[in-house]
Amino acid sequence: MMRLASYGQVALVVAVLAYLGAVYVMPSQVWMGFTINALAMTIVALSWNVTGGFGGMSSFGHAAMYGTGAYASAVLQVQFGVNAWLAFGAGIMAGALMGGFIGALSFRYGLKGSYFALVTLAFAEVLRICAASFNITGGGRGLQLAIEPGVAALQFNKDRVLTYTLLLAIVALVMALTAWLKYSRFGAYLVAVRENEDAARALGIDTYRVKVTAMAISGAFGGLAGAIYLQLWLFIDSAVVYGVAISVVALIGPIIGGAGTVWGPLVGTLGLHLLGEGAKTALHNAPGLNFVLYAVVLIVALRFLPQGIMGLAARIGAFGRKGGDDA
Amino acid sequence: MTHYINRRGLLKASGAMALLSGLASPSILRAQTPVVKIGVLEPLTGNLAYNGTQCAAGAKFAAEAINAAGGIKSMGGAQIELVIVDAESRPEVAAAAVDTLAEAGVCAFTGASASALGLASSQAAAKYDLAQVFSVGTAEAIVERGLHNVFRYTPGVNKITAVAMDNLKLLNDGAGNPVKTAAIIHEDGPFGTSMADLIEKTLPDQGITVVERIAHPTPHRDFNNIALRVKASKADIIIPSNYINEYTLMTRALQQQRVELMAIYSVLGGAASNIKFVRENNDLAQYVIDCNHWYDPKKEASQALAASVAAAGLDMTYDVMVAYATIQVVADALERGASDDRLKMIEALAASDYADSIMPYGPTKFVNGDNVSAAPVNLQVRGDKIEVIFPAEYATAEPVFPRPAAG
Repeated sequence: MMRLASYGQVALVVAVLAYLGAVYVMPSQVWMGFTINALAMTIVALSWNVTGGFGGMSSFGHAAMYGTGAYASAVLQVQFGVNAWLAFGAGIMAGALMGGFIGALSFRYGLKGSYFALVTLAFAEVLRICAASFNITGGGRGLQLAIEPGVAALQFNKDRVLTYTLLLAIVALVMALTAWLKYSRFGAYLVAVRENEDAARALGIDTYRVKVTAMAISGAFGGLAGAIYLQLWLFIDSAVVYGVAISVVALIGPIIGGAGTVWGPLVGTLGLHLLGEGAKTALHNAPGLNFVLYAVVLIVALRFLPQGIMGLAARIGAFGRKGGDDA
Repeated sequence: MTHYINRRGLLKASGAMALLSGLASPSILRAQTPVVKIGVLEPLTGNLAYNGTQCAAGAKFAAEAINAAGGIKSMGGAQIELVIVDAESRPEVAAAAVDTLAEAGVCAFTGASASALGLASSQAAAKYDLAQVFSVGTAEAIVERGLHNVFRYTPGVNKITAVAMDNLKLLNDGAGNPVKTAAIIHEDGPFGTSMADLIEKTLPDQGITVVERIAHPTPHRDFNNIALRVKASKADIIIPSNYINEYTLMTRALQQQRVELMAIYSVLGGAASNIKFVRENNDLAQYVIDCNHWYDPKKEASQALAASVAAAGLDMTYDVMVAYATIQVVADALERGASDDRLKMIEALAASDYADSIMPYGPTKFVNGDNVSAAPVNLQVRGDKIEVIFPAEYATAEPVFPRPAAG
């Protein structure tokens, strides 16, 4: 399902898998801790990739779906005493509904490009203000889950290895789903919409339906990421889950890694986290300089790697298939 | 003249060096001063970078003072080594940074400037049996989760609000109850919202009607609409709870919109007790009252800290003070426990009765991790100084309330 186009991509994927495997045997908990954070963010990056990468609908407000997933799960658990597993599922559903709603409203009025990006940003901001205003969402105080380690409450924080393994499995599952999506008929419709929406419509594709469905699927992944954040840190407030930072993280990983590829969001998010952590370790006496280095790499990557890291890797030892798969 | 060394000479010299170094090394080892590591987890970057950087500076001053005074005497004069890590103003990063602290071998850590960061870090630290002594963390949820490793040295939102409201009543009663209405302006995060909820509930009991309650995000830049709403509400006083930049912009907007107020009575006002605000906005700052964390300015250690801060060219803010004090508390626990074992540190902190910190608290008494002896003080800007006006035993000036009319 996740076909690779070159020896370069094979080497890159092997390196990523080797790192993810090595975390199990690394003596330092620091690497596991930060890789858990990176994997949690990879899910929201994969979510953005469905619409922004495959469908060319670049959202600047994926925090809307992420936060809705987190809040739906938190409200159900804290305010209504709903079981954590059911609330987790509801968080995914709520993310899907929010994605579908934003998509339906935006595409009904023909918004695309930067207008669509701005509308998604506005949605996230409105939701942030709402979450900070209503009692049911804890207002500005946010919502906090009681600490109840165990399977029943879906809290595995005491066992880092288990937490890491579960996150790896979820990331693998979401990647498999996006791969299936990419190579399905629906994925082909999405690419057609991305490349030329008018031509796609002329060929009989219901572009509105395709785009709204993509937003709903993306929203489900975003909601999943938000619900995972809640179960990991047991506390959310409006700035944390609806903040612009989440929306930025959602799009930077895929853009650096390779938007529209299956491995790109993981490669980009993990790579950026590794870079940040490495810079932080190297420059531990100068807080903030790691962000400067991070920004420089980002600018260089955007300038010289329009197809992202996966695109660069695709050019190294290509297998020879003309227009080979970009993975 | 040229000196040559032959192989035999080289061997002799090497042998002599080896012998000397062999003889010398035991004495070097004996002379080595033991070191004990304390973590400092603060947001050094991001939205809360100013507070976090100030806290880190306060912790450094405390460690330097303790080391200069002979270190931890019960541990052979062990010198404190701080391990400072950046929480980046993000809860998940704060939690991940605890791994770094634990692996660095810290016996406990202080931090983390904001409740959301502290909630995440203390939860992560519980796995390591690693004590977190909160310098600032006002949300009551911090001490309500039953975590054995949590120690909040400074007061929480309930205590701060109760003291602030009691003192407001004292001031208003003393002035013949001129204040009848109030507007609350607060940041919309956990700290500002919790504070505003309590104030809104308490004020009617004092005969003060809340005519406006306005929440704003952090960061927030344009306060003109908020100032106009306050003006329209005809509130006698405003009660703000927000961070330094917003506080400064808010007071500027109030002045620009010519909002007449009897007082600005802040509760944990981000700039009200900040000498930078007083220095840069002296006219706006006059007679502003704040209920906040603050040290006892009469203590010798406080004066020494103030001198060190001034010599370093830093601003003397409550962040510096509370971070200094929490390192003192940790050092005292090390002194009494005579060990940097993490569980023993938790035991020593739980039993703490430390009374010599720079804060105006009585002997420390942690009940479920909350220091019940902690209390805020009331401050008022007068000229280019921040004076303590309540409680009387620490006061350096008499309060002026209501403030004199402008012009």
